[in-house]
Amino acid sequence: MLSFFRFLARHTAYLFFLLYCGISILLMQLQRKETLEAIRTQGLTVNASVAERLSSIGGLFALQEYNEHLLLQNARLFSRVMRQETVLRDARDRNILTAKDSTRAYGRFFVARIVDRRFSLTDNMLVINAGWRQGIDKDMAVLTPDGLVGRVTRVSENYAKVMPVINKRFKVSVVSDSSSTYGVLSWNRGSETVAHMENVPASSHLKVGERITTSDHSTFAIRGIPIGRVIRISGNKLFSDIDVRLFVDYSSLSYVLVSPDKPSAEKLEIISEEDVKTKSDMKPLGR
Amino acid sequence: MLKKYPFYTISLIVLALVQHFVLSKLVVFGASPDILAVFIAFTSVMLGQRTGTTYGFGVGLFAGFLSGNLGLSALIGTVEGFVAGYYHVPEESYATTVKKRRMFYFASATALVAGNLLMALLNNPMAVALYIRIPALVIIGTLTSMLLTVLLYQLVLKKLQRD
Repeated sequence: MLSFFRFLARHTAYLFFLLYCGISILLMQLQRKETLEAIRTQGLTVNASVAERLSSIGGLFALQEYNEHLLLQNARLFSRVMRQETVLRDARDRNILTAKDSTRAYGRFFVARIVDRRFSLTDNMLVINAGWRQGIDKDMAVLTPDGLVGRVTRVSENYAKVMPVINKRFKVSVVSDSSSTYGVLSWNRGSETVAHMENVPASSHLKVGERITTSDHSTFAIRGIPIGRVIRISGNKLFSDIDVRLFVDYSSLSYVLVSPDKPSAEKLEIISEEDVKTKSDMKPLGR
Repeated sequence: MLKKYPFYTISLIVLALVQHFVLSKLVVFGASPDILAVFIAFTSVMLGQRTGTTYGFGVGLFAGFLSGNLGLSALIGTVEGFVAGYYHVPEESYATTVKKRRMFYFASATALVAGNLLMALLNNPMAVALYIRIPALVIIGTLTSMLLTVLLYQLVLKKLQRD
């Protein structure tokens, strides 16, 4: 008996091997049984969930490229939508012939990434990673599909400085959607989501909730770029004081579109001639 | 010595996942490199035949759980651990580094041949004839895995063997 145990102790590896082989063969035989089938199903679930996570990690690497592709697509679609909206608006105003001329200006947008931003109480600015080498020029309008972001104020080889709407020196001529009320939009500090519409006569039919877009009177932006929605109207007997909630969320802005289209140079020239003649010293930085 | 067991256990589980989710997709003429067999062989060489066989069985079960082939995976792991155990180099032996390396390469090659042979004989999901399955799995599978063995030994296992 003792010698048998000695034999076992000396050959435990063989015993283990036989035991494991036996279990394995048993498992192979019982593969189709219900209990094992449940274990296999469980294994498949684990397998699928891990594989899904792994594939999502792989997808992360392609995300940057995918994002840029989507932005370009977005820019193309946005350009098309703006063109069609303008045509529709003009058709509504029975001014189709003018619309044909104005839509000619809408082309493609440049896509740029915001590489730096300074937000203070007064002097807010953004820097984008596109400069004159990429076709960016001073006074181009910067926007997102949500709305106007600002205007290019300085351009270097590969970067451009953008003055956002929420800068106290920024001004842009705007028009309301339904009542076609014109005014000048500016920002007087305070909330980064609210701007003010000035020069609106108290007699205008502007209502709360109306959509505000850039107008034809702007010196840098093409018309029809969304800006915001009227949230409050107050004021004195002559002019209304209007608050506009901006569509663009500056806190989460990372990519922008730069519109290469500017109002006609001839128009700008004639405006500046008028300015010289009247010797206006209140020349706004941008309208 | 006791600290080695958790290390080998965790390593084998991680490698089973790597094998299942990564290496099994690198198919060369129907065979893919088998990092799990290589590490089972290493475990047997380092810890002995009995421990290697046990690890082979356990990790085979885990791999089978993932692939849905419990019995076959466990059997292959067991056989790989057992045959590689014949090349066990005891810790207290005075074997040189060259001998240890040779033993590991032999263990790995034997385990791979045995494992691939079993796989070719007992598993045929693609309904390929045996005379194609055996050369494809045994020769190509072993060769690609041996390349992995050399690479793995030079990069990682050599250091572990010394420690």
